[in-house]
Amino acid sequence: MRESLLTTENVTVTYGSGSSAVHALDRVFLTLDVGRLTLVMGPSGSGKTTLLSVLGCLLTPDSGAVFLQDRLVTDLSENERGDIRKQFIGYVFQTFRLFRSLSALENILVALEISGCRGRQARETALRVLAAVGMVDKWRLKPNELSGGEKQRVAIARALVNDPPIILADEPTASLDSLSGVQIAEMLLKLAEDEKRLVLVVSHDSRWLPFCHRAIEMRDGRIVDDKDVSALSQ
Amino acid sequence: MRLAWRNLSYDRLRFAVTIAGVAFAVFLMVFQGSLLAGFVCVSSSVIDATDVDLWITARGVPCFDFPAPLPSRFRELSMNVAGVNSVERIAAGITSWQKPSGVRQTIIIVGADPGVGSAFPLPYLNGKTDLVFPETVLVDNSNLDALGLTTMPVDVEIGRRRARVAGAVSGFGSFIGSPYVFTGYNDAVRYLDFGPEETTFLLVRIAPGSNTQVVQQDLKARLPEADIWTRAQFARRARFYWVIKTGAGGALLTAALLGAIVGAVIVSQTIYATTMESLEEFATLKAMGASRWYIRRVVLIQALVSSVIGCAIGLAVTFPSAKVVQGSIPWVYTPWWLPAGMVLVSLFMCSLASTVSIRKALRVEPGRVFRA
Repeated sequence: MRESLLTTENVTVTYGSGSSAVHALDRVFLTLDVGRLTLVMGPSGSGKTTLLSVLGCLLTPDSGAVFLQDRLVTDLSENERGDIRKQFIGYVFQTFRLFRSLSALENILVALEISGCRGRQARETALRVLAAVGMVDKWRLKPNELSGGEKQRVAIARALVNDPPIILADEPTASLDSLSGVQIAEMLLKLAEDEKRLVLVVSHDSRWLPFCHRAIEMRDGRIVDDKDVSALSQ
Repeated sequence: MRLAWRNLSYDRLRFAVTIAGVAFAVFLMVFQGSLLAGFVCVSSSVIDATDVDLWITARGVPCFDFPAPLPSRFRELSMNVAGVNSVERIAAGITSWQKPSGVRQTIIIVGADPGVGSAFPLPYLNGKTDLVFPETVLVDNSNLDALGLTTMPVDVEIGRRRARVAGAVSGFGSFIGSPYVFTGYNDAVRYLDFGPEETTFLLVRIAPGSNTQVVQQDLKARLPEADIWTRAQFARRARFYWVIKTGAGGALLTAALLGAIVGAVIVSQTIYATTMESLEEFATLKAMGASRWYIRRVVLIQALVSSVIGCAIGLAVTFPSAKVVQGSIPWVYTPWWLPAGMVLVSLFMCSLASTVSIRKALRVEPGRVFRA
């Protein structure tokens, strides 16, 4: 029995107007389940990133609806969407987006601070999450002292620290070497399977296919293929 | 607010520039403010040293330093007004001083009756405040060089008459280039070659129980050719004249305001540059669910930290500088509230300077986090 957490209904996002209008998303219907890693693929300009932004409550669609645990999130205010993001969603970015002036530990403490968790408890939580991604011995280091794979591990730790049920990852291995890429892919797969999180990965890279349960193909803002690939990864 | 602190220390050069901007602004504001405060005080210092109730001056006299002749019979007329207890005289005017070296210097000779107030600098006889040494003068410490004095007592010539410099006082340095020289009333009249019917100021002490305003009105009615001021009014008039009418105060105030503006511009520029460089980080914070208040705090704390550190450095530089300057401008005065006020002004200045940056940070789209 699959448990749906995130659903889109007839979502459309258009950039520009008139003859220059571009449908970044064109009537997208999508249901995403917990415990699965879903891969969204497609060429540049196919709408992958826009879909990620809409699902991540970072962009309000021009029409259609997005439901999170049956709650309509598309008509929420910016502040309410911020609360939703804080509580439900962890982000992993291609360029890591770590705060350059902060150490690995402090990067994670910022995420906790935003959620209102401070002091000793926050520090212990941050160290625990860093340990979970194998980075506890490098907690003092700043982003410019870490390798690409290590930065992404810290970024994943930051995404996980508030224990969100949803992880949205944008090209998480694009800036990494092959070995680090495989390690990050395994880590995200584990988060989906073992910790029953909804993990959505956007990538150009077909090497992700062995690590996902479901693969969605997009083109011109539409879902053109949606297949279950669980069998491949097992 | 670890992020705010770390962002500041991450780019140390920019942080140093911001702090230098604030320090410069604070230094300029406190220094110019001290000049202005000192100028305000010194412009009425002789008036403030008296403890009388009313001053009688010739019509239109703007301040103590530019007196006009007043008929001395006004003293008798004043004494006959109900409520007047005593009327003392001050003779003041410009004359020449011959230094022991023979060089001449223009001075303002100020001679007063002993009853004008115990804080008024007069060469009192044996420390008593009712008798004044004849042919004896006091000068201000800050004017010793200008008057060519190296030792005291020493004999000099004032208005071609002999005088003995008995000692020096403090707090009565002149700011118009002609030092004050204090002596008894009768000697001042001689040094100034005043006629028997001539004086410059009459100082009225009213009888206990009398109403100052009523006596002032009665004196105005009795002496329509004179101005009658309370001591506070005349002091205010003198300050207004020097600070506002001559434009000197405006110049000092303008320099202080320019300091504030330059400081605010430097701070706003550097904070804005820091914010613009951190826009992607603000977008990340917003994507992570940071509230508007959280983002506002990050920028504001950066501004306030710059302000506090810059302010401390600015003040640390100002006080020794003021001490050094007091050698040539003895009336520079820094009231306690000026540095305290500047801390508030600098906090306000930096907060104001950060508003544009805050707006920029708040407007950043969180959706840009997915654009590589």
